[in-house]
Amino acid sequence: MEIVFLNALANGILLGGVLALLAFGLNLIFGVVKVIHMAYGQCVMLGMYVIYTLKVIYGVPLLVASAVSVVIMGVWGTLLHLLVIRPLLGAERLNQLLALAGLIVVFENLAHVIWGADLRGVRVDLPIVSLGNVFLKTSNLLAFGGALVVLGILYGVLHKTYVGLAIRAVAQDRECATLMGINPGRIYLLTLTIGGALTGLIAAFFSPIYSVHPHFGGSFTLMAFIIVVLGGMGNLAGGFIGAFIIGVVTSFAAVITSTEVAEIVALTIFILVVLVRPQGLLGARRAR
Amino acid sequence: MKAVAKIILLGLVIGFPLVGVSPYLLHVATLIFIWAFIATGWSYMGRFGLVSLGHGAFIGIGAYTAGLLFNHFSLSPWAGMIVGGILAGVMALIIGWACFRFGVMGDYFALLTLALGEIVSLVLVAFRDYTGGSLGFTLKRVGSSWFYLQFEDKAYFYYIALSFLLAALFLWRCIDRSRMQKALRAIGEDEIAAATLGVRIVKYKLRVTIMSAFVAAIGGVLYAQYVTYLNPHTLAGVGPSLDIAFKAILGGMYSLWGPTVGTTIIVVLEEYIRVNYGAKYVGISQIAYGVALVLLIIFMPKGIFGTMEEKIRRVLSGRSRSRDPGQKH
Repeated sequence: MEIVFLNALANGILLGGVLALLAFGLNLIFGVVKVIHMAYGQCVMLGMYVIYTLKVIYGVPLLVASAVSVVIMGVWGTLLHLLVIRPLLGAERLNQLLALAGLIVVFENLAHVIWGADLRGVRVDLPIVSLGNVFLKTSNLLAFGGALVVLGILYGVLHKTYVGLAIRAVAQDRECATLMGINPGRIYLLTLTIGGALTGLIAAFFSPIYSVHPHFGGSFTLMAFIIVVLGGMGNLAGGFIGAFIIGVVTSFAAVITSTEVAEIVALTIFILVVLVRPQGLLGARRAR
Repeated sequence: MKAVAKIILLGLVIGFPLVGVSPYLLHVATLIFIWAFIATGWSYMGRFGLVSLGHGAFIGIGAYTAGLLFNHFSLSPWAGMIVGGILAGVMALIIGWACFRFGVMGDYFALLTLALGEIVSLVLVAFRDYTGGSLGFTLKRVGSSWFYLQFEDKAYFYYIALSFLLAALFLWRCIDRSRMQKALRAIGEDEIAAATLGVRIVKYKLRVTIMSAFVAAIGGVLYAQYVTYLNPHTLAGVGPSLDIAFKAILGGMYSLWGPTVGTTIIVVLEEYIRVNYGAKYVGISQIAYGVALVLLIIFMPKGIFGTMEEKIRRVLSGRSRSRDPGQKH
């Protein structure tokens, strides 16, 4: 039994790494543009289909396919900003949410029409690594390591470069940032492009682990929400910690009972956090 | 003029099955009535700023309660409807009280209810020994029976669904005429200001939420009885929850007939494309529907019917004013 729990813990942490990247993208968009991207997981799903198409149908090497997916999803994010999010910037919060929820319908059916409802997977044979009694899949380890590296780079960009400073400035106070000569429209565009490229990257990490189908994104969108709310909306550090909490908790719940119960547990945590501590674990209490 | 038009329309709707239309058309009309019933119930709360993205939870609770009680204990779905409605109401009471007590509003409320709908769907799948899991289950067939709410002839369901829809529209009117409507409108516009004026926010919000949940649960029972098959992915979870909200929003959740118009447009469009272009293109019609929805929210936040109604009203009042300026309305 101990061994089972140890494995659950290890795999939960590995899952947490990738979830942290997913939550980072959602959080960045929320923090800067103040829009909840309801179809974020669905973008990851589209990215996975791009990789599948390139790798399986055109025989492109996986690494190249992944790189292409990052570029395509980055462009996709830019288009999304120009066509949907920018026209909605002045609208009510609820309308923004509903319009982006409408995109879920568009993306899932787009995938359904183009690729059909079957499971599509990129077949990669990687060995299993064992540390004593703990067994880890190489693909999970790679995804975890890759996610941490990317998070590190993004942290560096946000804190050490001029553009990063501008992004953080807009996130903190849009009007003051405008007065300092930052063009918030361009920062929004950049944020959505980065967010889009991230979905392509996450798709690259997911491809060797999961097979994709049109409704693949739904549960990951919900997972990302849960993490973002748990850590505090717009709080990047909180999202990082929240990802590992949710990764480990769902991993344990799945081992003890079933995957459905694991999801129910995660969603219940979400509801309780929204009710009792809407500012998240690390957020400061603010008057509403 | 308006009253005459209404009576003619009602007469046409009532007479529709009597002129020997095909069972397929009756089927489409019945689907429209059932989902319009649910969408109207959704708008009870939606139009006061309580946008729920989790009404699938209430539909699922209602349909599964009545369905399981019928299959295992042969309980009449009429009684099951009440039991399911009450259970959904209790669920709405618990969640609603918690939300309103802690001041969960707007997009947080929408996200929380979205999670609720998904939880109910997952619970239905998890209890697969009783509910059949993802595969769902079929209701026992008993032939035509009023007591068990099953009919061989589609016309019965047509009239039943129509009466329920009319009842829901009537209830909308009742809400409009009650003190509740004034209170809720004040809350929807500025909650804190309303509270300082002594409006009991939690009480009024809870009341309308429970009504809405009850209607959704009954709608779930009707739908399940009509298709005699229950599935967690068509009766609960994110998909159906969003569909209900979209139908109401597309038509216009602020107007009495908005949700009905929205449902009609979506169901007719879907059926038309499915029949004429096959299953593959249902996906394309869904894409078009999604795109239309996004465009509509950007350009017509009041919905198709809501915007039309406003335009017509403006044109009518403008015209009557220009023709005989002395007349007052």
